[in-house]
Amino acid sequence: MNTSSVPDLATIGLLGFGTMGAGIAQVMAASGRRVVVLETDRARLDEGFALVGASLDAGVTRGRLSENARTSALARITGTTEIRDLAGVEAVLESVTENGELKKALLTRVAALVGEKIPILTNTSALSVTDLAAGLPNPARVAGLHFFNPAPAMRTVEIVRALHTGEDLVDRLFALVETLDGKDAVLVKDRPGFLVNALLMPYLNDVVQEYDDGLASAEDLDAALRLGLGYKSGPLEMLDMIGLDVHLHATEAAYRATLDPRYAPPPLLRRMVAAGMLGAKNGQGFRTGEEGGR
Amino acid sequence: MSHSRKTVAVVGAGTMGSGIATVMARAGHTTILFDIDEAGLRRGVDTVHGFFDNSVRKGKLSAGQASAAKAALKGTTSLADLASSEVVVEAVFENLDLKKEIFGQLDEIVSESALFHTNTSTLSVTGIASGSRIPGRVVGTHYCNPAPLMKLVEVADGRHTADWAHRATLEFLGSLGKTGVVTKDRPGFIVNRFLIPWENSCIRALEAGLGTKEAIDSAVPGALGHPMGPFRLLDIVGMDIHQQVATRLYEQLRDPRFFPPPMVERMVAAGDLGRKTGRGFYEYGDTRLFGS
Repeated sequence: MNTSSVPDLATIGLLGFGTMGAGIAQVMAASGRRVVVLETDRARLDEGFALVGASLDAGVTRGRLSENARTSALARITGTTEIRDLAGVEAVLESVTENGELKKALLTRVAALVGEKIPILTNTSALSVTDLAAGLPNPARVAGLHFFNPAPAMRTVEIVRALHTGEDLVDRLFALVETLDGKDAVLVKDRPGFLVNALLMPYLNDVVQEYDDGLASAEDLDAALRLGLGYKSGPLEMLDMIGLDVHLHATEAAYRATLDPRYAPPPLLRRMVAAGMLGAKNGQGFRTGEEGGR
Repeated sequence: MSHSRKTVAVVGAGTMGSGIATVMARAGHTTILFDIDEAGLRRGVDTVHGFFDNSVRKGKLSAGQASAAKAALKGTTSLADLASSEVVVEAVFENLDLKKEIFGQLDEIVSESALFHTNTSTLSVTGIASGSRIPGRVVGTHYCNPAPLMKLVEVADGRHTADWAHRATLEFLGSLGKTGVVTKDRPGFIVNRFLIPWENSCIRALEAGLGTKEAIDSAVPGALGHPMGPFRLLDIVGMDIHQQVATRLYEQLRDPRFFPPPMVERMVAAGDLGRKTGRGFYEYGDTRLFGS
């Protein structure tokens, strides 16, 4: 990684500083880019900076990052609550909550500010990139750039080619991902779940249903799949980490778009979300409430 | 009792049987490996010895430990030699009648208090247990391949499995250093129940052109923290084995997610079974599965 030369798409206007936004900000800043993050209020910006700080600290503790690299990465990220501060960014990357209307309204305003040439990228996992692009001037400059959670750790980045995405943008995104430390890009179609989540969601739904059907305890289901297949995490601890509400929303969207019953949310998942059990983020999920928990 | 030395019989000296015998002998149990076929038995015993020799080369066992483990293993082609067994692990090929018959014959040979373990992957534990006059002593213990290296053992009770047999099984597996995970007597237990539809859906994604095999094999582990992609794994498992397991689960569950996609049948027909034949999804110069 060469941080002395100016990389392509050197200033990223990042929309949203939640879990994914924070991870993406860290990855972009570590590649030498400047990141301007837009959030709705100061408190959310502070939470985002705290997430980035904690993740960079963990990198320093593990000896994977120097104190200097940590400080300079953080210094390249600035936060704002004013959309006009995004003027001059070289690309926009959207990572706000998975609500199509909200994303479209925000992107319309941002597009009006940055003009027709600036690439607009979305980290959506549940919505159609083509649909988000359709309402914007020059949809050829719109594509998906989909990171996995936690973004600094997971190697894969899906480049989603929507129906109108320009080839030049696809090439630029491959080049961009090349400059991100330890990342590999894969070009995918704009289908529900793209590539990885299209495979993952039915598997997770299936595990939840079998858990509800009493195949094994949550702990034993996770242990069997971790030990039997060498997975880093079992499916139920993975669901806790993703967020039960996030998975429910994504698999509902995929079901609506395909009417494929493999994407239909299992009843237990709906009930847990209705009961306010969201996974690791509120300490109530499949595994987080366990005795002697983690 | 967990560290007491037992007499353990392993029935069937194929890949799984010899792997399980390795586990037993390494744990210090007097191990009797049975196979009906003299040549098959010799191959099985050689496999166990070869594993211990490799362990010495890799520094995982001392020469003394390896010779003690080898000395703990005896081979036989006579079921009568299993008379002193306290635990019998059945690991013959997946044929319900054969497995039932073995337990029925062993009823007449071993003590009534001996535990019967079946290493079936796709048959019903209850069905296999019905071959014994004492179905309460029969427990499903499904080891993963390669058994000496994989910690997981899926434990499934049949309808008539007795509490004492269940408890003794978990304790025994613990003494082997295995993690016994308790599941139900349902087709595929846990791992195959989820792995087979997963692999099938990856194959269907490949058939549908959602990505090349290389792209899918890179993107999936890079996104989900899997040790390897789905097609690399299938090449290790073997397409013939995947086809057999998938078909058996489909026959029991009638759920199309388990049915092997057409590409599987084509690859098996072409002899592209994976690493063992030198070609599956990928080409291999070296057909050894787990290195040396």
